Amino acid sequence: MGSPMEYNGGSVVAMVGKDCVAIATDLRLGQQSIGVAYNFDKVVAVNDKLYYGLPGLATDVYSLREHLRFRVNMYRMKEEREITPKTFTHLVSSSLYEKRFGPWFIEPVVAGLPQPTELDPHPKPFISTMDTIGCITTPKDFAVAGTAADKLYGAAEGLWEPDLEPDDLFETISQTLLNAVDRDCLSGWGAIVHVITQDKVVTRRLRSRMD
Amino acid sequence: MARRYDSRTTIFSPEGRLFQVEYAMEAISHAGTVLAVLSKEGIALAAEKKVTGKLLDLSLAPGGQMGGEGNQAWLGGGGEKIFLLNNNILAGLAGITSDANSLVNFSRNAAQQHLFTYDEDIPVEMLVQRLCDMKQGYTQFGGLRPFGVALLYVGWDSLHGFQLYQSDPSGNYSGWKATCIGANHSSATSLLKQDYKDDLTLEEARSLCLKTMSKTMDSTKLGSEKLEFATMTLDPKTKQPLAKIYRPNELDALLRQLELGGTSDDQVGVGEATGGGGGDEGNVAMST
Amino acid sequence: MGDCSFGITGKDFVILASDMNAGRGIIKMKSDENKIRALGPHLAMAYGGETGDTEQFTDYVERNMRLYHIRNHNALLPPAASAWIRRQLAQSLRSRKPYAVNLLLGGFDTTTSLPHLYWIDYLGTKADIPYAAHGFGMYVALSTMDKWWFEGMPKEKGVELLRKCINEVQSRIVVQFNFNCILIDADGVHQLDLSASDPIADLSRAPEKAEVEVPNPIIAAPA
Repeated sequence: MGSPMEYNGGSVVAMVGKDCVAIATDLRLGQQSIGVAYNFDKVVAVNDKLYYGLPGLATDVYSLREHLRFRVNMYRMKEEREITPKTFTHLVSSSLYEKRFGPWFIEPVVAGLPQPTELDPHPKPFISTMDTIGCITTPKDFAVAGTAADKLYGAAEGLWEPDLEPDDLFETISQTLLNAVDRDCLSGWGAIVHVITQDKVVTRRLRSRMD
Repeated sequence: MARRYDSRTTIFSPEGRLFQVEYAMEAISHAGTVLAVLSKEGIALAAEKKVTGKLLDLSLAPGGQMGGEGNQAWLGGGGEKIFLLNNNILAGLAGITSDANSLVNFSRNAAQQHLFTYDEDIPVEMLVQRLCDMKQGYTQFGGLRPFGVALLYVGWDSLHGFQLYQSDPSGNYSGWKATCIGANHSSATSLLKQDYKDDLTLEEARSLCLKTMSKTMDSTKLGSEKLEFATMTLDPKTKQPLAKIYRPNELDALLRQLELGGTSDDQVGVGEATGGGGGDEGNVAMST
Repeated sequence: MGDCSFGITGKDFVILASDMNAGRGIIKMKSDENKIRALGPHLAMAYGGETGDTEQFTDYVERNMRLYHIRNHNALLPPAASAWIRRQLAQSLRSRKPYAVNLLLGGFDTTTSLPHLYWIDYLGTKADIPYAAHGFGMYVALSTMDKWWFEGMPKEKGVELLRKCINEVQSRIVVQFNFNCILIDADGVHQLDLSASDPIADLSRAPEKAEVEVPNPIIAAPA
């Protein structure tokens, strides 16, 4: 068995726009070179302003997703408010670091719109990403992870520009993902894109090469 | 001598009774009324608030003035008497508030634990059983007093659809079509017995619930400052359970529509100066 | 890895088939080993992997499914069962000696009247898919299923597709396999006799002959 990070394949990308964020994933689940499923959604909603993606070893995708759902639900009940993107990032990070010497093989990507508060009436769109043991990076532009990460960097570097409106952001993230996963034999098999704005989330399913 | 079989919970009296458990149940029959009505389309749940008064700062209480539908219902719950235990289960509580809080906490944990292991919402009866197992434990194992709380559980699951359960401090539970706990529960139950029909719509269940409540409670007019109200229905689109805890203004609108009172918006929060209803005033903070 | 199993869902049923070999390395010791286990009134799994682990793990799953049924008067529904089984494997993976068991879990959800099929491997990876294979079947028969499977298949077409897959395995893989097969529908778990010309007709003619020993007491569903 090769690296656990490449065993099942799959990639996630998130991008910042003007008062909006987008997050997208491919849908492949493989066992090394064999494709097993084309409905493996690696991006999950925490609420309608916050999404996260978990590319990596598929068994850990399930385990970590269930763990985080538990923690977020308990947070929502105890705090009687929704978790903010920043707090959620730290929750994911500490969940990962808990397994410092036998890690979850996951590199999470978080994308969300913080709610305006009295202290911060105009919060900026938020994205973040982590390594497998929870070291956080909060980029200003885009975050990529998964088996197509290197190709995603190239495509995103070329296509992304500041202050994209939701429609343009959708186009940019979709082209970035599709063109990157077409160069990666472990990612692809369809994709899902979410564009989060203050008043709604637009979710679209993309068709792509099925080989 | 009279206290011989009273002082400890786990000792039977010569007549074979557990006095402490019976006292706990007695405490509940002075608590604020909680009433629920089941229908094929959903369940209505109403609860009488006992802690009122114009000096009470509701914005500081758990839940405050919030409420809402679906996920929104988590963000504040109903406040004092009605709580969301899981996406598919609401509970109305009568009894000692502090005991109730710890039971709510326990059941929310149990529900999340089930979601974690089975990736599905916990079936309603299973959650009721979990909670009743714990309540029963306190009537048997040494030195502790039983929970002074009775609950109505209102929920939906894919196995049995809409369900209504009631549980008491002894750890007994039972399923109902319409039932009531707290002050005046026996008269409320006989009213429900008269008016309940098997083919109620949700609309009718809501109105039966609130009308019975208005006859049961001492005050002549109902209003959001004395009442909490919630429904469990199915989302027409997703066919998934949808809990709705009414916001004060929504409840007042509903009460006005049913001609049962309803406080106008500018009166909300003024309330009566003292807690009304069954319990004596000294008990207001303890037993609600 | 000497195993081979298939799962196919259709309109209101799911078929599971598994090879019947037992042995070690290149030696075949048995060619009539049943590697499909009924886990409940509407649930079964076809399993393969390290011998010993497979028996231990399936026994463990079967008993837990039964315990749940007895305690709660209702069997776990297929989605919940899949989540539980997956978690057991995922937890085992990070233990001192993980179970090396791959399985296909098939079930019929009596509340929604929908068939379910889950592909689960020893890591705890789960895929919720309409048709699946484990072992050698993954290499030679997945493409056969891609080509011939269609949404809402009737039972006869399901068996036809299974035969195509088995045929592929028998002509392309060096190892010789026998297959046994079950079908789960609203009425429960049934044995399918693949040597018959029309096993589905046989099943509807004499369902009592196709009975599979189900571990759980079958409690009539509440009306």
